[in-house]
Amino acid sequence: MIRINAEAARAMVAHAESTFPDECCGVMVGSIDGDKKTVTAAFPLENAYKGKQEDRYEIRPEDLLAADKKARAEGLDLIGIFHSHPDCDAYFSKTDLENSCPWYSFVVLSIKGGKFDHANCFLPNADQTAAEKEELTWPK
Amino acid sequence: MAKVMIPTPLRQFAGKQESVELAGANVGEVLAALTSTFPDLKKQIFNDEGKLRSFVNVYLNDEDIRYLKKSDTPVASGDTLSIVPSIAGGSTVAEPLTDALSKDEILRYSRHLIMPEVGMEGQIKLKNAKVLLVGAGGLGAPLGLYLAAAGVGRIGIVDFDVVDFTNLQRQVIHGTKDVGRKKLDSAHDRMKDINPNVRIDKYEVALTSENALEIISGYDMVVDGTDNFPTRYLVNDACVILKKPNVYGSIFRFEGQATIFATEGGPCYRCLYPEPPPPGLVPSCAEGGVLGILPGIIGLVQATEAVKLILGTGQPLIGRLMLYDALAMKFRELKLRRNPECPVCGDHPTVTKLIDYQQFCGIPGHTPEPEFVEGDITPKEVKAKQDRGDAFTFIDVREPHEYQICKIPGTKLIPLGELPKRLNELDQSAEIIAHCKSGVRSGKAVDLLKQNGFKKARNMKGGILAWSDQVDPSVPKY
Repeated sequence: MIRINAEAARAMVAHAESTFPDECCGVMVGSIDGDKKTVTAAFPLENAYKGKQEDRYEIRPEDLLAADKKARAEGLDLIGIFHSHPDCDAYFSKTDLENSCPWYSFVVLSIKGGKFDHANCFLPNADQTAAEKEELTWPK
Repeated sequence: MAKVMIPTPLRQFAGKQESVELAGANVGEVLAALTSTFPDLKKQIFNDEGKLRSFVNVYLNDEDIRYLKKSDTPVASGDTLSIVPSIAGGSTVAEPLTDALSKDEILRYSRHLIMPEVGMEGQIKLKNAKVLLVGAGGLGAPLGLYLAAAGVGRIGIVDFDVVDFTNLQRQVIHGTKDVGRKKLDSAHDRMKDINPNVRIDKYEVALTSENALEIISGYDMVVDGTDNFPTRYLVNDACVILKKPNVYGSIFRFEGQATIFATEGGPCYRCLYPEPPPPGLVPSCAEGGVLGILPGIIGLVQATEAVKLILGTGQPLIGRLMLYDALAMKFRELKLRRNPECPVCGDHPTVTKLIDYQQFCGIPGHTPEPEFVEGDITPKEVKAKQDRGDAFTFIDVREPHEYQICKIPGTKLIPLGELPKRLNELDQSAEIIAHCKSGVRSGKAVDLLKQNGFKKARNMKGGILAWSDQVDPSVPKY
């Protein structure tokens, strides 16, 4: 299960709403205790997808590496990736699944008409053929 | 000893350590040491065949080892190795992929289905595939016909041209009844007739730096059927940027070539031709001609390669440039390698977004209508001179085989190439009027004549094509 604190949720929503109608992406950092993950901060990353970004995102590995280093330097762990789905629900699409990795939690934010609607979290399997929903606690 | 940074989620497999110090001369050895120390890590990083999983990138300090020497990259003491996944995704509202064929489709594709190399699995891959054809001309014609027939599910076509009589000798997707129609509409109707299951996206635009990424990003690959250098470089660069294979073909007179560019690790068009030729040096098919059958051969080599890429079967034409000579009836092959210094696909690319390709190819943005140069004369004025019985020498500087197609009465044939050594046949004091097909070659002839003291040399503007339009419509146009 994964719990997002208020500050991290605000940062994710602000980023997702600001890039609307394009997709956004970023990393979630925090701590892991067994299978309990707590996200204490979220940082935007540049959407590096080179085509139209209304329904695609891509994270540069260099950016992810830099984010990982930054988190480590602050004594935090990189535990997940977030991205937005403009004007559609927060499901884990085939594109999401095929280009994911099994190591992280993936939070998807549904942004409708420019405003945050709901979020879900997913855990892809090792072969990226399926993803299970991870229990998500989103601040009220 | 090198330090391997362990991503947070993998620490549970690595004794909960953030990083591990390991020995090894190169990246492969360090990773082998890592997975033999922590066997549970192995299946997180490597697949069953022992290769790095598709999403795994390994960085030596700040460099991706793919751009160094991969697993042979040497590792020095104090180096840091990082394991970084590639992550992307998107809502892609596109219709869900199908995993079945209808009864009608099974019947239609039965000759594919009974071959194990295609089978149900391959035919479903074809049905889910999205291919963009740039151009619905010579190469686009056989491509459109056969890719539709083969069952490629979605085919985009970029073309803004209209079917012309001169197209019919080779662009077999269009018929005589289609002359004057948009090529997009004509190709659409023919392909839908062959296979109504195919979805066709029509882009009635010129592919430009502004729209190329957006159009191409919706497809799995591009098949390039363009006939000009700016678009060819544009398609190449866009494909490299978007990481989409570019199935390339080109044709000229009796010769053609084909290959696949912009695959991961493979060469791109710029590795083969870093610079475009000077404008005007390489004639187009309209200027140099093309054997009508040739685009059929080359287009179907491209279609074959596109289908193989979709199926993931056979040896793709990557890193090999196939050359075809119709007169000798010979296929040859040249090896192509990715150039590490390539400005687009090299290790340190300098072109990372689309540029102005007209300018890159030395072509001015707006080609001005050739101006009426002092001394030019119109076909009507020439006709009037003839009718009045004015004394002048009328020379045709085209080639003898063009002269056989059509000629203007009263002209003397002196092909431009022979003119310098045949100046003695002309009278320096006489008025000389030169013409060719459209006025370009005769302009050069007039310049040459003037340099050699023929002060009264004049160019007939628009050539024999303008003569046909303005004076005598019985003269055929070609």
